[in-house]
Amino acid sequence: MTATPQAEVHTPLPRPSSRLERFGRRQGWVVGVALLLAALVLWRSSQIPAFGAFEVRGIVAGTMTLALLAMAQSVIVISGGIDLSVGAMMVLVNCIAARLMLDQDLGTVVLVAVLVVVVAMVISGLIGTVIVVSGVPDIVVTLAASFALAGLALVVLDGPGGGTNLRFQELLVGGFDQPWPAILWLTGVLLVVWLPFKRSRLGVATYAVGSDRAAAFLSGVRVGRTRVIAYVMGGFFSGLAGLVTTAFTGSGEPRASIGATATLTSVAAVVLGGVALLGGSGTLLGPVLAAFCLALIPPLMLGLGWDPNYAEVARGIIIIVVVMIGGLLQIPRRSR
Amino acid sequence: MAQPLLQATTVAKAFGPVVALRAVDLSVAPGEVHALLGANGAGKSTLVKILTGVLANDSGTVAVNGEPVRLGSPTEARARGLAPVYQDPALVRDLTVTQNLRLTGVDPAAVRRELAAMDLDGLDLDEQVKDLPLPFLRMLDLARALVFDPQLLVLDEITAALPPDLSERVFAIMGRWKQRNRSVLFISHRLAEVREHCDMCTVLRDGRNVASFHPGQEGGEAQIVAAMLGEASAGVRDVARERRAARERTEEAPRLVVRDLLINRQDAGVSFEVSAGEVLGMAALEGQGQDRLFEILSGNVRAAGGEILVDGQPLRARHPCDAIRRGVVLVPSNRLMALLPQRPIRENIAAPLFNRLRRWGPINTGRERRQVADAVERLSIDTRAAAQARRLSGGNQQKLTIGRWLAAGFRTLLLFDPTRGIDVGTKHQIYDLVRELADAGAAIVLFTSELREIGLVCDRAAVLHNGAVVAELPPTSSETDLLTAAHGLEVTAV
Repeated sequence: MTATPQAEVHTPLPRPSSRLERFGRRQGWVVGVALLLAALVLWRSSQIPAFGAFEVRGIVAGTMTLALLAMAQSVIVISGGIDLSVGAMMVLVNCIAARLMLDQDLGTVVLVAVLVVVVAMVISGLIGTVIVVSGVPDIVVTLAASFALAGLALVVLDGPGGGTNLRFQELLVGGFDQPWPAILWLTGVLLVVWLPFKRSRLGVATYAVGSDRAAAFLSGVRVGRTRVIAYVMGGFFSGLAGLVTTAFTGSGEPRASIGATATLTSVAAVVLGGVALLGGSGTLLGPVLAAFCLALIPPLMLGLGWDPNYAEVARGIIIIVVVMIGGLLQIPRRSR
Repeated sequence: MAQPLLQATTVAKAFGPVVALRAVDLSVAPGEVHALLGANGAGKSTLVKILTGVLANDSGTVAVNGEPVRLGSPTEARARGLAPVYQDPALVRDLTVTQNLRLTGVDPAAVRRELAAMDLDGLDLDEQVKDLPLPFLRMLDLARALVFDPQLLVLDEITAALPPDLSERVFAIMGRWKQRNRSVLFISHRLAEVREHCDMCTVLRDGRNVASFHPGQEGGEAQIVAAMLGEASAGVRDVARERRAARERTEEAPRLVVRDLLINRQDAGVSFEVSAGEVLGMAALEGQGQDRLFEILSGNVRAAGGEILVDGQPLRARHPCDAIRRGVVLVPSNRLMALLPQRPIRENIAAPLFNRLRRWGPINTGRERRQVADAVERLSIDTRAAAQARRLSGGNQQKLTIGRWLAAGFRTLLLFDPTRGIDVGTKHQIYDLVRELADAGAAIVLFTSELREIGLVCDRAAVLHNGAVVAELPPTSSETDLLTAAHGLEVTAV
């Protein structure tokens, strides 16, 4: 019995929410992470007597790979999947690029760069296709793929080696006191690749598939295709991460542990960046900011004169505490 | 008669070993509001999904305007003029309404026009779906379907979650569709709606169509119930009432005593008692604290004050386990919350048994199996989908939530709206079961949102209003009296 028998009932419309409420609800997390990052940067700058272009470049260029991997992971997580092979993909691209770019002129190097990113997109798309077609859980397929890719990296380059073009390095990650190339590339990728994608029907479909596969299907979304495209996008970002590694280190390094660590850190950045691991919500900006937060912690520890080994402990604790606080903040909303 | 708009012939569908549809014929004429009826698990939803391109039928044909079609996706179905509104709104929670419309390729302006026609133009389409209440999502889903201007509008239990005023707007649309010589396929458990608004009805039972007739005719309702239940029904019995009459009151101490229990700190407090062998019905308007009261009694939430006595001893539960140890068990209204949806029937029934085991070591599977088989038989649970509880129909799931306590043993049973969304046949099985359990010595507290049930199964009725029991009435009280009390008003004539 929900209503009086004869009384005229009028169900009230839900109260519309204001722009500010909506912004807080949808972007609140990203704003929080941005504030955290600002605080960490301020703290770090107070530790160093001269905090200038050199230090900024060190932070930005050094964190670019992680930021790009966080983007790769985010797209896939938003679509309702997960990819444990993004780190191995980065290592593989790094090895192929370093081997092909050694002693080449800029033109050839750029051509190679485009080629390896395309290769990464194709491989990642294949991985996605296997997941969608076979129905084997994504975590299994991508874990297996990470072993295969790490193996391939060792086939391409059996030890540290290879090289690249100095000009190419400067273009991508900047010289020692030039922070701008790295900053521009990161914002450029977000603005030119991610934003249009997010606003396209395909982008909306990606969120839809991650949020509720059945409802997306009933709305006429081609679910399988959309999921594969998310993996292709992921491949694009991890390919870029591989290129940046090549430019930053100037060589190729096939060690598998690098990839494994990078993968797990990318998942940490995704979580800290406010992308729900269940899919369907979040953005790429949050994980990118989170990647910088995570990268700032070891130098901060060092500045405090602590044993840098504790940095990993601190990182772990920070992730748990931040996500916990975020969860607590959302409780009043749920109970409303 | 003119050519039917939709003609389904011997449509069949099986999910592995579970046959959902054996052979269904359905014919919908142009300008007809056609009701599709049947008990839970009769195959209504499966048929709707086949007609709208979500599922492919194993055999049989579907023809639209005389032309056989194969509907491979919802988009193809819409292109053929069949637009559905499903039981669960097909809207993605994390997207805004506008983004959802974009996915389907619907113009938001057109949806706004449809909403305005329903007097709902105040809805903000830039809200995220998860921030909007369910009834409005249904209306939005309906508005979206209308934009496709379908030949056949398929409404799968759309009124189940709608308040009366919104239901009326749905009926107005159905009327409009009929005037335009278009058709509606309408699914509902509410027979009054079907009688009033439908021109034809088709009743499904066990995956077959068993009857088609005009539901508004004399005795239509009885005919529908008879067709839904099959032979077993032969005049829905009123066993409960007979049993109650035969039962003699025993003069022993009450099983469960609740004294001044505060659901919220500022409430007056709830007091009532239930004896062994008694069914206490509880009636209340929405939001009078009944859900919380049941959670407190079952040990899931702690009261703000007052006391609960079980067999004369105070019960201070910190955890449902404490209440269960004292024989107080809850059957919540949300069936999936109570069950382990992915696990087989056997484990679902056996899970509460584990509470009773005071020792470590392996579970005695032989004994477990016997108890489970016994419970399944007593409840006549349809075990075709035994491998996973979530694949059972709603009615069978509800039986399972009661059945698991049967095997574990209990002395006091708390039933929270146990028949919500369940078909008539299963409802009566549950009424019988409740009386049977009471006769066997259980004390039962039954909250119900269907006042009729008070008269059908209960020995006494307690009316809850604003966190307090405001009246205790005999089960023979009229629904008007119960409702008057539920509004917190004095009942004069008893």
